[in-house]
This record gives sequence, structure tokens and C-alpha cells, in this order.
Amino acid sequence: MMKNKSKSLAALLFTLLLTLFLVACNEEEAGSENSGEENGESSGSDEAYDLSIMTTAFTPEPPTSDSPAWQAIEEYTNTNMDITFVPNSNYEERFNITLASGDLPDIILTGKTPSFINAVGDGAFWDLTDHIEDYENLSQMNDIVKNNISIDGKIYSIYRARPLGRMATSIRKDWLENLGMEMPTTTEEFYDVMHAFTHDDPDGNGKDDTIGQVVSEYPGPWNIMQTWFGVPNKWGIDENNELYPHFQAPEYKEALDYFKRMYDEGLVNEDFAVMDPAKWHDSFVKGEAGTVVDVADAATRNLNNMVKADPELEGSVDIFGSVEGPNGLFNLPTTGYSMMFAISKGSVETEEELHRVLDFIDKLSSEKGQRLAYNGVEGTHYEIEDGEYVPTEDQKLVYEYEDLNQLLTFVPENRYLEKPVTELKEKERQIQTENEDIVVANPAEPLVSEIYGRQGEQLDNIIEDARIQYIVGQIDESGLEEAEELWMNSGGKEYIEEINQLYQEAN
Amino acid sequence: MTQLSIRKNKKSKNQSGSRLTKTQIFIRDKWLYVLLIPGILYFALFKYLPMWGVLMAFQDYSPFLGFWESDWVGFDHFQYFFQNPDFFRLLRNTLILAFYDIIFFFPAPIIVALLLNEVRMQLFKRTIQTLVYVPHFMSWVIIASISYVFLTTSGGAVNAVVEYFTGEKISFLSSPDWFRPMIIGQVIWKETGWGTVIFLAALASVSAEQYEAAIIDGAGRFRRMWHVTLPALRSTIVILLILRLGNFLDQGFQQIYLMTNSLNRSVADVFDTYVYFVGITQGAFSYSTAVGLFKAVVGIILIYGADYVAKKMGQTGLF
Repeated sequence: MMKNKSKSLAALLFTLLLTLFLVACNEEEAGSENSGEENGESSGSDEAYDLSIMTTAFTPEPPTSDSPAWQAIEEYTNTNMDITFVPNSNYEERFNITLASGDLPDIILTGKTPSFINAVGDGAFWDLTDHIEDYENLSQMNDIVKNNISIDGKIYSIYRARPLGRMATSIRKDWLENLGMEMPTTTEEFYDVMHAFTHDDPDGNGKDDTIGQVVSEYPGPWNIMQTWFGVPNKWGIDENNELYPHFQAPEYKEALDYFKRMYDEGLVNEDFAVMDPAKWHDSFVKGEAGTVVDVADAATRNLNNMVKADPELEGSVDIFGSVEGPNGLFNLPTTGYSMMFAISKGSVETEEELHRVLDFIDKLSSEKGQRLAYNGVEGTHYEIEDGEYVPTEDQKLVYEYEDLNQLLTFVPENRYLEKPVTELKEKERQIQTENEDIVVANPAEPLVSEIYGRQGEQLDNIIEDARIQYIVGQIDESGLEEAEELWMNSGGKEYIEEINQLYQEAN
Repeated sequence: MTQLSIRKNKKSKNQSGSRLTKTQIFIRDKWLYVLLIPGILYFALFKYLPMWGVLMAFQDYSPFLGFWESDWVGFDHFQYFFQNPDFFRLLRNTLILAFYDIIFFFPAPIIVALLLNEVRMQLFKRTIQTLVYVPHFMSWVIIASISYVFLTTSGGAVNAVVEYFTGEKISFLSSPDWFRPMIIGQVIWKETGWGTVIFLAALASVSAEQYEAAIIDGAGRFRRMWHVTLPALRSTIVILLILRLGNFLDQGFQQIYLMTNSLNRSVADVFDTYVYFVGITQGAFSYSTAVGLFKAVVGIILIYGADYVAKKMGQTGLF
């Protein structure tokens, strides 16, 4: 009896193992067949080119190859696309793992991260400096942004353009009116507005349930607001033309004291240091917070959400770009791009293939390409009624094309279709243009620091943590000085030297 | 019993025989060896094969160049790590959490198991047993969100109660002083019930005769617990403690990662989170491998040390 049982068990195990083995063999064969096909196809230039891409996704259901918009892009660019959509929240991790696996897609989205820079150093990606001139759209890349993405003066990627002056503050216009206040123009006026929003019952419901501004764990708002005070953008330049880190500027302390005052008087949410950034704008939308310091386009997005819940709130949101600090009028710029596309040398082997890939990116920047990827297919995803763009309301159809916009570079300009412009949207654009005159550039943006690549995260954390700790009162001035000392001893001193050397070499 | 003695006889006979008998044993037990294959495969594929990767710690590994082309740098990464001001902070945070874990969490399942063992009403005992181990199946993400909802200073339930009684709020989530109690509290809540399973199993094997004898000798409840139940658990406790020491420096990565923020980072950074930040998000593969290797070496030393001590003290060890 025992023996029988063990025999049948062993037989079962054996079968299982055998099956596993066979399946694995099969898959391998299938794999090699496929790659053979790919090679065969890519040699003929008239046939559709097999193109693998890895990019970010923001929707829960990114498009698949069944999507009409996807197929229309393939037809227009004469390619077979194989897109890997990675959720934006863990893109950097996925990028590093993909890089480590050595099996890179033809086109990969990347930030200017240490791992990307190292991989460029090892020759993993094509140098595009001399190639981009041949393409109608790509040749029109903005020089400042091109400088920002360059590595040792060479271009290894195509950036995805974003407005430089994107930072702005959304503010409740109706609350200002209720309190009889004007739009703030200086930091002190802004403080008074936040104070009134917190303590003077701006929504008139008789309850003490509002705050001046909502902030989350994400440090962006503090970075923007400290720039208003004249704090340099990451690096300042002293009279000897040498770079120094922003927190050594005297204005930094001024800004921090302002923040501390805000926190002490309860003008920002008490738990901001532990608040999930994904819930950040919720307080504004729900009518709990009166301002939110972020990007200009957040205003329309938030207003739309508010109107959805309560149609009476139409027109209740206004924006301003920056307020004047004690030292002048400044604002923080973006880098002018949001990640970039690099082309793998391992997957795209010949210059001819490179041409096909660049042609794909270039074509997507044309009017037709941008519309297909941003708006979808006419008649399915949108209609043109009386010359106006009317997108579909069906969420399922929207998902069919929405994330395809993650393929777009928007170089040299936006050419997709838009809904008729609202007053707020118009103001957003105007502010973005105005911002361009007051943004503070980071002089070290194009420089590639080895030390920062290795320890940047720890170094940044030391300073950012100390800032938060100072705001909530965990440390005082001496604590700030200790943090600066720790920063210096953790590699900061060498970092400053390295950056200055690179800066002198570049200029 | 008889079977066993027959086997023994066979064995002693074999010992006096030649090589052939070894093969005979092998043939006789062939199916047992077959059963071993999946286990060996698992360890070879997923534990031993990847171990070659630790060589990366001595390289300047670049994913693009791959393992064979990357430069060898010897102990550079270790040197850099030990000289780094981060090192002592990480070591301190990791050790303190590990000690807290052993002192506060390790006894918790034993105590709960002892308490449950004294419960006479089977239905009640079963219900409690099931209820306490349910949290084990929740992911840390969920526990982190629950903690946030309960503990936040903006409308958290716990803080509402605290404020009602003391008039002040406690920033559990952001205060460095509260970070360690919070982490250990979460572990106790999540894993205590699951930990009792092993102890309850060991307790089930204690013969009722021993208790009866103790009762006749006039032992009360606590005497019985002290002289019968606990000695029965002793070897289980020692083995689990040794195993736990092997993972001494492993703090639950997910849990700590989720509970870290700007205000408590000074006490929250441990080796596991550091390896993640440096290795995965910054792509310094070699450096983080070196840190991981250091941790593993400490683990091995601790596990052998504990085993040695246990044997010296007359307990059954692991090896």
C-alpha cells in the first residue's frame, strides 16, 4: 500500500517536471522563430518596421494593439508597435531593471538619471547629435532644453517638451470675493490671504473648517515658494562666478521663516509631511483649502472636478504665476521637458534602422501624428462639430487612446485638437508666457555630476528633511546648520568642487 | 518499532560489507531521492545560482557591459560604505529595531499561545485563534493606510481620543520618537497570531498525563504553566530564536518604506531601505550588492553564534 502510493506520487511529480521542461523548450523555440521574423522584416524598408517602445502610463487601462488609434498610428508611420506601458509611479524602478536585464526596447523613455547617464557612458544609446538635423520637426528642438538634456555636450535623446513657466498657484476666487480681498501680488499679501482663508470663514458656512493652503509630502510647493523669495534654483552664482548650493543663500532662511510662520498659525494642513501626494489636490477640490501651489494646468483640472460635484462653483478658481517677494519677482521654472526618448544601440543596430526609428518619432510630431496619439481617431474618439473639437464621453473609448499621448514629444509645438478655450485656460497660457520672463534658471542643469549620481538622493534628502523639520519645529536654526554640515561631510563638499569644475569647463 | 530495528540491523550488516551496498541503499530508496529533486532544483535555481551575483559587489558593475565586461574594483565599495557617515546611522537604526523586535515582538506569540492554552472553552479558543491570525494575510500597504487613518493628526480616530483626554495631539506618524514603537506595534498586531500557530502545535503534543501528575502533586495553574508547559516549549523557542537571529538585520522592507517620511527618516533608514534607494532607484547595483553582502555576513555570524551558545547551554541547536 505504502509503496504503491509513493510510486504514483513519484510518477505524478515526474510528469509534472517533464511537462514544465517541454513547455520551456517550446517557448524557447517560439521565441527564436519570432526574432527570426523580426530580422527578416526590418531589412526591407517598405515593409512595416517592428518597433518596441517602453513608456509611462497614467490611466488604469492603457491602450492595446486592438485600439483603432493604435492601428491608425501604425498605418501612418508604417510600423508594428509593441508598446510596454509602465505605471508612472514605478517607472524609474522599471527602467533600471530593464536596463539591468540588457534586453532594451528600441525606444525607451528615461529621465536624465544617473543610471541613464552611466549607460550612455557605456555606449548603450545612440548619439543623436548629428542625426536630428535631418528631420523636419526634431531639428526644431528648443536650444535651452536641448542644453538641459545634453550629456557632455551631446544629445542622446529626444525630450518631451513641457512649458518652462508651468508653475502657478490656484486660488479660490469666490472666497476672495466673500472676504472682500484682492488677488495677492506680494508674499505678505499672499500670507494675509491664507490667514483670512483659515480664520475668517471664507466659505461662509459658519464653521472653522478651512485652511489657507494644502501641501503634501511632495516638496514641490516649498521649492516654488522659496524661489519667490529669491532663493536660487538649486545653484546660485556668487560674485567670483562660483556656484554655491541654494540653501546657502541668505534668502533661504527668510523663506523658511515664512513657511514656519505659516505652519505655526495653522495656515497649512498640519499633517502635510505624511500626506499622500496622490490626495494632495483633494482638499482644494473639496473646498477645504483655499490655495494650492503647483502647475498652471492644475487650475482647470481642479475646477472641472469641482464643477462636476457642484455646478454652482463654475468660475470659482483663479490663478496667479508668482507673487513678489522682498527681493523681487521670481518663479521656479521646470526643466522644459518631462523625460525623454533614447534609442538603444543593442536593439537598433544599423543607421538605416535608426533612421526608421527617428522617422517614427518625427512623424508623430506632425499635425496628423499628434492628433492620432492625442485625440484618437475622428468619428470614433471625437467629432468635429461646427469646427469645434468634441471628444467622446465614453470612458472605455477614452482609454483606447489616452495613454498614447505618452509617445508624443510635442516638438516643436502642440498641434493636437483642443476644446474651445475657457477664460481660465486662456489665463493659464498667459501666465505660462509671463513666467518665462521671471523664471530662475539652474546654471548647473546641463552638468553631469558623478557624485550626485551616486549620492544625490541622500544629499537632497538631508536638506529637504531639515527644511520640513524646521517648518514643523522639530529643529531650530542650529539644527539647520547641523544639517548643512552633515550635507558637506556626506559628499557635499566634493559635490560643490566637482560642479564648479564642470561649470568652469563648460563656460 | 520492529520495522526500525530491522532497518538498524540491515544497516549494521551493510557497514561490514563493501561499496556495493551503498548502491543498494540508493536503489532501495530511489523514490525518496526522486522526491528530493524539486527541492534541490528550487534551491539550486533560486538560491545558489543567483549567489554568483554577489561577485558584483567587487565590481564596478554596468548593466550594459554585463557581468563579464565590468571592471573589478576589489573592496572599494565596502571601504566607501564603512567610511560613509550613513553607515553608523543605518547600523544604529537597524540594530535598535532588531533588539526591539526580539524583546517586544518575539515573546508576544508565546504569551498568546500560553493564554490560549489555558482557555477551556473550545469555541472561544478557536474563534480567538482565527481572529488573531487574520492580520497576517493583509499586505503592508493596507496596514500602512489603516495606520494613517487612525493615527493622523488631522482627524485620526486615535488622536481624537488622545486629544479628548489630554488636550494635546501626538504626531505618531511623523515624530521620530514614535517611529519605533509604531513599527513594533504594527508587527505585533500583524504577526503575533500567525506566530502562535507553531507554539500551539508544540503544546498539543504535551501529554495530558504530565498535567495530571502535576495536579496530583498539588501544582496550581501557574506552577503547571511554569513547570510543564514552558519546558515543553523550550526547544521550539530556542530554534525559532536562532532562526530569528539569522534574519536579525532584516527589517521588513515594505513596512519601513511605507512608514518613512521626511520627519522620521533619521530613525527610519535601515539597511534594507538604503539598499533599495541606492540600488534600484539610483542604479548603483554594485554598491548596494556590497551593502547586502555585508548584511548577509552579519546574519551568518549571528546564526552560528547563537547556535553555538544554545548548544553550550545544553539546548538542541540547529546544526
